[in-house]
Amino acid sequence: MPASTPASATDRLPLKRARRGRGRDIVRAARRSPLAAAGAGVVIVYALLAVAAPILAPHAPVTQFLEHRLDPPSRAFPLGLDQLGRDILSRILYGARLSLIIGLVVVVLGGVVGTAVGITAGFVGGRLDNVMMRITDVFFAFPSLILAMAIAAALGPSLTNTMVAIAIVTWPVYARLSRAQTLVLRRLEFVEAARAMGLTDVRIIVRHVLPNALSPLIVQASFNMGEAILIAAGLSFIGFGAQPPTPEWGVMVSEGRDYITTQWWVPTIPALAILLAVTGFNLLGDGLRDLMDPRMRRR
Amino acid sequence: MSRYILGRIASMGLVLLGVSVLTFFIAHVVPADPVLVALGEHARDDQIEAYRKAYGLDRPVPIQFVTYLGRLARGDLGVSIRTRRPVADDLGEFMPATVELGGAAWLVALLLGIPAGILSAVYKDRIFDHLSRLGALAGASLPVFWLGLVLLGIFYYRLQWFPGPGRFDIVLSPPQVRSGLLVVDAALARDGAALRNALGHLALPALTLGLFSTAVIARMTRSAMLEVLYQDYVRTARAKGLQERRVIVLHALKNAMIPTMTIIGISFGSLLSGAVLTETIFAWPGLGRYATASAVSLDFPAVMGVTLVVALLYTVVNLLVDLIYARLDPRVRYG
Amino acid sequence: MRMLVPAILVLLSLLVAPATGPTFAAPARDTLVYVADISDMISLDPAVAYEFSGILVAQNAYDTLVAFEGEDLTTLKPRLAQSWKITDAGSTWKVTFTLRQGVKFSTGRPLTAKAVAFSFDRVIGLNKSPAFLFKDVAGLKEGDTKALNDRTVEVTLPKTASPQAFLSVLTFTVGAVVDPDEAMAHATGGDRGEAWLRNHSAGTGPYVLERWDSESRAVLAANANYWGAKPKVSRVVIQHVPESSTQKFMVESGDADIAANLTPEQARELTGKADVKVQKGRLLQLVYVGMNAKHAPLDKVQVREAIRWSIDYDGIVRSLLRGEARKVQTIIPEGLFGFNASAPFQANVARAKALLAEAGLPNGFSTELLVPTGPAPGGVRWADVAAKIQSDLAKSGIKVTIKETAQAQLLNIYRAQKGQLVMILWGPDFPDPDGNVTPFTDYAAKSIAWRNQYEDATAAKLAKQAALEPDPAKRKALYKELTDRILHQGPYVILYQPTTRFALRKSVQGFVWNPMAFAEFKTVSK
Repeated sequence: MPASTPASATDRLPLKRARRGRGRDIVRAARRSPLAAAGAGVVIVYALLAVAAPILAPHAPVTQFLEHRLDPPSRAFPLGLDQLGRDILSRILYGARLSLIIGLVVVVLGGVVGTAVGITAGFVGGRLDNVMMRITDVFFAFPSLILAMAIAAALGPSLTNTMVAIAIVTWPVYARLSRAQTLVLRRLEFVEAARAMGLTDVRIIVRHVLPNALSPLIVQASFNMGEAILIAAGLSFIGFGAQPPTPEWGVMVSEGRDYITTQWWVPTIPALAILLAVTGFNLLGDGLRDLMDPRMRRR
Repeated sequence: MSRYILGRIASMGLVLLGVSVLTFFIAHVVPADPVLVALGEHARDDQIEAYRKAYGLDRPVPIQFVTYLGRLARGDLGVSIRTRRPVADDLGEFMPATVELGGAAWLVALLLGIPAGILSAVYKDRIFDHLSRLGALAGASLPVFWLGLVLLGIFYYRLQWFPGPGRFDIVLSPPQVRSGLLVVDAALARDGAALRNALGHLALPALTLGLFSTAVIARMTRSAMLEVLYQDYVRTARAKGLQERRVIVLHALKNAMIPTMTIIGISFGSLLSGAVLTETIFAWPGLGRYATASAVSLDFPAVMGVTLVVALLYTVVNLLVDLIYARLDPRVRYG
Repeated sequence: MRMLVPAILVLLSLLVAPATGPTFAAPARDTLVYVADISDMISLDPAVAYEFSGILVAQNAYDTLVAFEGEDLTTLKPRLAQSWKITDAGSTWKVTFTLRQGVKFSTGRPLTAKAVAFSFDRVIGLNKSPAFLFKDVAGLKEGDTKALNDRTVEVTLPKTASPQAFLSVLTFTVGAVVDPDEAMAHATGGDRGEAWLRNHSAGTGPYVLERWDSESRAVLAANANYWGAKPKVSRVVIQHVPESSTQKFMVESGDADIAANLTPEQARELTGKADVKVQKGRLLQLVYVGMNAKHAPLDKVQVREAIRWSIDYDGIVRSLLRGEARKVQTIIPEGLFGFNASAPFQANVARAKALLAEAGLPNGFSTELLVPTGPAPGGVRWADVAAKIQSDLAKSGIKVTIKETAQAQLLNIYRAQKGQLVMILWGPDFPDPDGNVTPFTDYAAKSIAWRNQYEDATAAKLAKQAALEPDPAKRKALYKELTDRILHQGPYVILYQPTTRFALRKSVQGFVWNPMAFAEFKTVSK
């Protein structure tokens, strides 16, 4: 499920601007786009909750109060209990950590591999570029969940394999984006100048190309975080997700779905957690894109 | 133009070759033995051996790969280990349901997404814009399988506005099969009741599945519209007054649709992904159910077949979109 | 834009249009709609079908020579065979059947003794999943079933097989009689009609298979040539609905007459509703954990016993399953001959810890538990039962890592003797204690005992002796001795014997669930 696609992200080519004024831009952007600000807010709160889960959670995520199994939300258990009598609030909090980890691992893994491939292909050009891009074409030919499912089935169900599968599905987006950026940057004066000064290719890439190609990649990463959480939930639903009793949100929805008519809170609360977190990342991504697009800024 | 088309088709062939290599590779990473799935817990060793032989699973992997490619070239996708039928037959049986569901979901996404995007752009930064963007994003952020259950619970179970899961009422006999698409078949048979029934069954799953793409399309339409709306000629027109502005908005819409086209093609992929989840909830006998069942039982030939066919479907759809795009926008003709 | 808005409205209204009329009527009175998860349906050929849903269909389209009726699994009733007798022929057993008169196949051809011989040989020749019941349990080869005349069939069994067990096997669809002419008319490449019979029927049963759409539905229609009383409902639609919540919606709104896979919670919610009733069904399955007896430290008897003393069986049965299961701890379930009600184990952390200390593991140990994905019998998910066991064992100091694995992969590991703890279910293939006892105790049978590397010559010998013992009292005593032995020595934690439940429309009458996991629709009316 491409939350953002190469086409939509390459249609602008923002160049890195001077640092000065960026802080004011953020304030202005927040005022202009309250949704983006809301997204940033959600993401920040979510990250804080994830980090502070052990302090905030009233119980361990695996402790079973079997006698209170499926009890509705109460004062003692504000979000109710699940089918094994585990505190849903605590599981949601610990689950936030897992989702954050899934998102980050996928973004870092897919982002690093993809960007390395993309920049190299764009910078070196020629046959290497051609081969690399054909390989990304092959990956783009699959709908993401179907490819991820096939990979997860092959590797066997586990949280690690889920992350690997999603990263494999997402790296080509970064490759295309960074290649497109590199192709433009390569012809620009400051890169030409650096080359004339005798800097090595690696140095040029690290010092000049990468920093300037970063903006759309960051936007993509934000969308990708949300996408990763959603694909992980989808894989859990099929049965290729985190192992019990791991409080992964997707697993919680998927395992709780039999209770939707009888104890609605069991699947609904984790579903809402997913909704909130993914919306947050998507809003943030939208906002960042506006912010980093010089043409949007002028208005 | 024809050179461009030929080039695109040639590169598509290359991509599909890569796709088949990749699917084969994934299928053979599997550490488990699919034969046991077919034969079940009580299988005896001699039965297992016979199976392995029959499906060529006893041969070395490189040889299996060569036979696989050779058969693929002849359009033979092999035999499913789980259903024990040719994969091609299975796919033929499940494909129409998914095409119908995907098509309907696409329609939902276009009908909701494009107007939402346009209005969002026209009323940029007003309440409507914020609400529609938020709604679209939320739609794209929900676990599809949960949404499906909730929609069924509300619209089928509580309100009884829509019929239940499945493609058609259980007790009615479906129209004569011509295209495999129930809606089309019912229309061809001029069977109004059947048409309404099929459409009714289609509505909820299509809405569930289409919501994600709605968001993506709305977002793209909005930004493409904004781009065009802020160009000088539109500004000028805007300054001149409302009447002309209306003309320009229409004009702008036409231009904005060009970039939106690509995203529409790409969103088809997310529909196919979502179908995997939606079909289970709505008991929809399509490719998604088949893919899940095959993956869960490690049925290599079926998993390879279904990913290959889905990739083919997706690639062809994108090729068509690109060709339309090339027609609309002369700049990409030789791109 | 002016055009766009009305266009959208028109298209949207088209989508909503069906909502305005009465779109769905309750199923007609002569059609029974049975909703279940039938994703396991692979073939409806009785020589191939070995999955729950396939057997459900085949049982209604074919007849066997003898049958157990309703819930009674001890009294053998005549079906296609009017009578039968077992004779000792020295080095072999002879089982002779006299066929019922005037029986026709749905194709109109008469039932003959030759058809029986053809059907039995066909099972052995095709050698598909259920074939071992004939080949291994009964020791049959092709040609061992003979038609003495038009109405008399004689089966020759080796002395190593039990004629009683063979008769039990014959109640299963593997013993269904197929119309040979019809099967051979559709044969391709020596498959004796297997490809055709996959989704067609040619039997003598009360129904014929009208159609089967994979992942969608199987439709049975009354067989006009049926020899017995006409079925009360003339069509049965077995509809594939994988989600239990959706099944509940359907039976409540009247779109379905019977829902087969409800959770205990869903069933409780339906109890007391005006239009729906809940009916329980017995099962002969056992949910158990296998412990690899050669994998340290599970090789120590005390460690296995400590695990058995750690688990909160009552919590699983009463809370998790809402009481809809029976606490059974021996390898023969209730309902089969030889059931042993002894259930000494309960959660006793002190005792478990003492046993671990005795085994030299005062601080416990770490191990791995393999569980299948999806719902477990009884209405909860495997993952939930696993998480419960994990938390129980943790109290005794045993750290368990759960590995949820697709059934296929799990069996792969299990069969290769590579599991440590493996949780799964077992159901007997035929309603005789030997269907459980040999797999659970005889290492040489290469079944469950083998997978858990449990070699126990005494147990295997007892199992063989019990299987062939004709005297019921002596047989019972042998099974008592054997089950008591396995209870403490064996590599198993038997967790529970599940029950199943159905939601039925109030108007549905006469639905009986056979504990062998199928129902005969001919008795159902609505």
